[in-house]
Amino acid sequence: MELLVIDKTDEELRMEVAGEDHTFMNVLKGALLKTDGVAAATYDVNPEQSGGQTEPVLSVRTEDEVDPLDAVESAAERVEQLTDEFADAFRAAADA
Amino acid sequence: MSGADGFEVEFVDRSERSARFLVRGLTPALANGVRRAIVADVPTFSIEHLRVVENSSVMFDEMIGLRLGLVPLTTPLDDFELGDTVTIALDVEGPATAYSGDIQTSDDLVRPADDDVPIIQLKENQRLELEAEAVLESGKTHAKQQGGVAVGYRHLQQTVVAGDRDEFEDDDGPQIVRGVIEEGAPEATDDDVAEGDLVLTDSFGNDLRERYPGKEVDVEDIPGAFVFHVESDGSFSVEELVLRAAESIGSRAVELRETVAV
Amino acid sequence: MMVPVRCFTCGSVVSRHWEEFRERTREGDEDPGTVLDELGVERHCCRRMLVSHRDLVDVVAPYQ
Repeated sequence: MELLVIDKTDEELRMEVAGEDHTFMNVLKGALLKTDGVAAATYDVNPEQSGGQTEPVLSVRTEDEVDPLDAVESAAERVEQLTDEFADAFRAAADA
Repeated sequence: MSGADGFEVEFVDRSERSARFLVRGLTPALANGVRRAIVADVPTFSIEHLRVVENSSVMFDEMIGLRLGLVPLTTPLDDFELGDTVTIALDVEGPATAYSGDIQTSDDLVRPADDDVPIIQLKENQRLELEAEAVLESGKTHAKQQGGVAVGYRHLQQTVVAGDRDEFEDDDGPQIVRGVIEEGAPEATDDDVAEGDLVLTDSFGNDLRERYPGKEVDVEDIPGAFVFHVESDGSFSVEELVLRAAESIGSRAVELRETVAV
Repeated sequence: MMVPVRCFTCGSVVSRHWEEFRERTREGDEDPGTVLDELGVERHCCRRMLVSHRDLVDVVAPYQ
């Protein structure tokens, strides 16, 4: 996962997340939207045929003086927590 | 994304290579993430390169290569890393049929998941002798590297009886639902299920008219409840496949968190 | 020629059921639908793989 910040202000972030696709980006976007201080979050992946930018670009806008990079960090932490919880619940059901 | 009480997983149907399980508390994004990760991100071993010594069969080397690639190989993911290879050999002389069971491997942990996949039927004086490399790669590179077969999910649906059916109404055929329903009207059925029990739609021919005779039935999606159907090609168990998929999403979240934090 | 290893649509390994399917339906006279049910080939994408297949190895063998 290679990160490349395209635009960054106090409340806006545009960042390329190289090597990822919808699998992770959509989960991350979902988590971002549930993160405190995030006003808007989306990502965009262009098809191969479009030429140019084909790696996903994550866009985040925050409010209440939350730094967008901090928001991304806590969203990532949330995804981590969710997948761990899911794995634990699945394991418990599978072993039962 | 989930409630305070986290996730709830329940197996509805389970056998060695296939499972149907219900997960409550998922968002659509995470459900789809898990599905996509099962299909494209959990790697399996598959034959990739051949060195053909002799092929006097009726098929070209390339056709044999394609068939061999599609044979599922057992994949112990704890012992190998992405890109690792295992050497494989096959030597069969006709008249005989070469089966996946005739494949020899350099590592006992990696072997054909089934021994009875026919590769090529050989006649008198025909022979197939080759050496090959199996490589551990993810399903993104080629469909033969996918560990999951027919992986999908549906919303869990609840049945609600809205009233009696008008007996003089035109018959507009069966009312089909597929997968699993949550029983919302046990009093309208003949069997002794309780409200909230999970019922496989196969058990009533997927037709709600069969299950609730003479009733008008509504079907509603239950938010956050998804019924997954996962089949493994034999590379590893369904349980391992799902857990590895969740782990793969989690590990990318860890990587992102650590990169952003610096 | 040889029966496809996997179902084109879903990727399930159908070829391992081919020989039994052939023996019971083509050489025997069992109902193909019942045989497929018994073999556990459930989905119609997998069923068509076996129902519509013809072995051609014997046909092309003399020409190689």
